[in-house]
Amino acid sequence: MVTFTQILINGILLGSMYGIAAIGLSLIFGTMRIIFLAQGTMIVFFAYVVYWAFTLAGIDPYLCLFIVVPLAFVVGLGLFYLLFRKAAALEDKNVSLLLAVGLMYLVENLILKIWSATPRGLNISYSSATIVVGGLRVSWLRLALLGLALVSALVVNLFLKKTRVGTAVRAASEDMEATPLQGINSAWVCAVSFAIGIGLAGVAGAGMATVYSFDYQFGFTFALKALVALALGGIGNVWGALAGGLILGILENLAAFYIGIGWIEIVSYGIFILVLIFLPQGLFGRRGLVKKV
Amino acid sequence: MKLMPDFSNLNRRKLVWASFTAIAVVFLGTLPFYYDVHNGQLGIFFFTVFIYGIVGQGWNLVAGYTGQISLGQNAFFGLGAFTTALLWVYGVTHTGYWFDPVLIILSGVTPIILAVIVGLPLLSRLRGDYFSFGTLGMGMIVSVLFLNGGDLTGGSEGKLLIKYMPEGVAFNLRTHYWVAFLAAVFATAVVYFMTTSRVGLALKAIREDEVSAASHGVNVLKYKIIAFAVAASLAGIAGSIYTYYLLHPMPMNVFAQNWLFIPILMVVLGGTGTMLGPWLGALVIYAIAWYGDKFFAGWHPVILGVIIILVMRFLPSGIVGLGDKATGLSRRGSAGRG
Repeated sequence: MVTFTQILINGILLGSMYGIAAIGLSLIFGTMRIIFLAQGTMIVFFAYVVYWAFTLAGIDPYLCLFIVVPLAFVVGLGLFYLLFRKAAALEDKNVSLLLAVGLMYLVENLILKIWSATPRGLNISYSSATIVVGGLRVSWLRLALLGLALVSALVVNLFLKKTRVGTAVRAASEDMEATPLQGINSAWVCAVSFAIGIGLAGVAGAGMATVYSFDYQFGFTFALKALVALALGGIGNVWGALAGGLILGILENLAAFYIGIGWIEIVSYGIFILVLIFLPQGLFGRRGLVKKV
Repeated sequence: MKLMPDFSNLNRRKLVWASFTAIAVVFLGTLPFYYDVHNGQLGIFFFTVFIYGIVGQGWNLVAGYTGQISLGQNAFFGLGAFTTALLWVYGVTHTGYWFDPVLIILSGVTPIILAVIVGLPLLSRLRGDYFSFGTLGMGMIVSVLFLNGGDLTGGSEGKLLIKYMPEGVAFNLRTHYWVAFLAAVFATAVVYFMTTSRVGLALKAIREDEVSAASHGVNVLKYKIIAFAVAASLAGIAGSIYTYYLLHPMPMNVFAQNWLFIPILMVVLGGTGTMLGPWLGALVIYAIAWYGDKFFAGWHPVILGVIIILVMRFLPSGIVGLGDKATGLSRRGSAGRG
């Protein structure tokens, strides 16, 4: 039983990473209608930034959040206006998809060229600090990760529900063609949601740097896992995306323990396809939303 | 490359394209007679262009003509490659030929089986983006299955085919060139005849408006699966031929993302939903990659990323669509509709 609970807890912690990434994907998908395949690679990129900020300048990864997240936001805005602005307005979504793929190739291989293929992982003074509750060991860092995911979801949710731009983003994900008719600047809406998506990649990057060892190739798989989490939770639902991530994390840890590490991918993508076929609105999504996709 | 001149509706633009195509086909078809394709660089250059182009031509049929964006072509390519490798290693067909036509055909059949098995649930229930997601997941599953296949598939090491080469056969790229060229002609012909026949009309009707197509008596699911299966088969054949060049298929290289994204890039650059587009795109992209690698050795993937970004940023409507705004209309439906 203790093992099972331990697996559950580890799963939740892995899942919180998926969750953060999935929220970012969800925002970008909502407005631009593409799977932003470079999301995972951006996460890895920001993980490297956090890693080097700690290794070279001794900046604490959690303190670094206050640098990396605004940086990621600005990078997101820049990328959008530089690359995606024109493509986002096209009806042919292949262009945006390929731009994301190109970005993925570019960033992934620049990381390889600049920082080599050696897997990196941080070793901070409090890395090994754990809390023991009833025989279960939970490291503080992993708990902090879950906290990070919850705060991210809360902030994004508040932004979507309480701000004017957030309302516009929601409107755009309901019906992009109607947004200009309501006097909404659709490019700006896309830009903001894209920038927040990349900002979340910054959050996830910092989280990844503290807990996991990562290398340059990690990104693509991670983006796909985030996509699975998103489908599981239901597209267009912030808390759903987070919950999807948590569920996926738990399932993967269970699969690794009971079936074998090599079969994790089969389980997660198998679930992915089953969900797409039989439950396209996801576990927490609204039924009506899928018809528009 | 093989746009048949349609004399009943002859106009200047078509004539230009047709003569251009004829010259290209004659040039490529006779190249080995006056050029050493084994030692010269043009041989391997065009061989690779043919392989990528065949995969692209198949994707073009699904995405460009039918409007279903498949993101699983690498799975079919890898499946074709492994079909050839495994049947060869285990000597199933007992033919013992080099470039065994039976193996190549069978490698075109297994992807069809997978495409129908996967396509039935995916295409009957999923549309637009969800179909893309599903094919992406399918690709990952298939590659992981081969990775976990143990001794049967060789796991991550794949199968080393050199020691299974038939006796008395010399590895000569001339053969590769011919086979790939014929397969390229075949792929284009298949797509040409499919798109100009009743099937093509049905596919285009589905792309433009699925509901309307269904209400006009088009069996939407049937035609979608036909297009998906033909595209899968072409990718499998390309994978099979490429295996004869690689001689060491591993999950890492035959299921690589390259076999998914680069053909898509080539088609989109050339012009989706056009017959020549994939070939123009393949030629241009691979030429850039080729020279990029020559002058900046080792930076090849970085250059590829830059090319993808630059092309999509500044030439999103492709080469064929350049200077002809009208074709913009025919490209409209390729996004997730429905």
